[in-house]
Amino acid sequence: MQLQLGKKVDGVLNVLLIGRLDTPGVDRIETQLTAQLVPRGERVTIDLSRVEFLGSIGIRMFITIARALARNGGKMVLYGAQPSVAQVLETTSLHNIIPVRSDADAAAAVARG
Amino acid sequence: MPRVEIRFPSTHEGFAKGFEQLRSALDVERLEGAPRYNAELVFEEIVANIVEHGAVGGRILDVRVTLETLHDSVILTFDDDGVAFDPRGLADPVPSKSLEEAKIGGFGLMLVRHAASSLDYVRTAAGRNQLRVKVPRRAAASPPGS
Repeated sequence: MQLQLGKKVDGVLNVLLIGRLDTPGVDRIETQLTAQLVPRGERVTIDLSRVEFLGSIGIRMFITIARALARNGGKMVLYGAQPSVAQVLETTSLHNIIPVRSDADAAAAVARG
Repeated sequence: MPRVEIRFPSTHEGFAKGFEQLRSALDVERLEGAPRYNAELVFEEIVANIVEHGAVGGRILDVRVTLETLHDSVILTFDDDGVAFDPRGLADPVPSKSLEEAKIGGFGLMLVRHAASSLDYVRTAAGRNQLRVKVPRRAAASPPGS
């Protein structure tokens, strides 16, 4: 699992995740992702288009980081999930508590708002 | 394809190696798409539970996973010597209405139940958990028992 930080546009940071959000994948990036986003209370869009696998440990990571972000005045929006990953987001009802959108522009609009 | 048996200790390294073996076996079977994803998801969630919760006092467990492929399904059987645990009886977490109140537990078994068409469990006389999970190869699964 890798993460790539993009540029900040209109106050919104984009992050690209590449690979698998399974147990080893989350272990590899959770600390770094938290450190990059939470202290600064970032407004962030997370691009899931290159995430091949999402398990419950990834769901836990998103909830934990999104909650910490919100407490710091930030916001997380997910977007671009492949169909099987989107199914996991749907099954766990994650979209009820973290916004999920189909594309980058829609996600950025929510993150700014 | 003949049954594939995968055996590993309940360590992070064992988990990773076991997962590699599973994915290689699924490659040989040319399982793709949603059934492939669901088979991997079941493995990830069940084994993660065993590694995280199965042992008392830090004991390393012996985990055995068998993969069988039928024309209409893939069957994963998990066999471990951890504490007795029947995953069938647990309710799905109630969807949270707010991020602040959101619970982070219970999603793994929820995802397994959603991916599988059946879950069968037995605690053997030898003190092992055996969980048999059937994942459909074609249409989306209905929840077990429905």
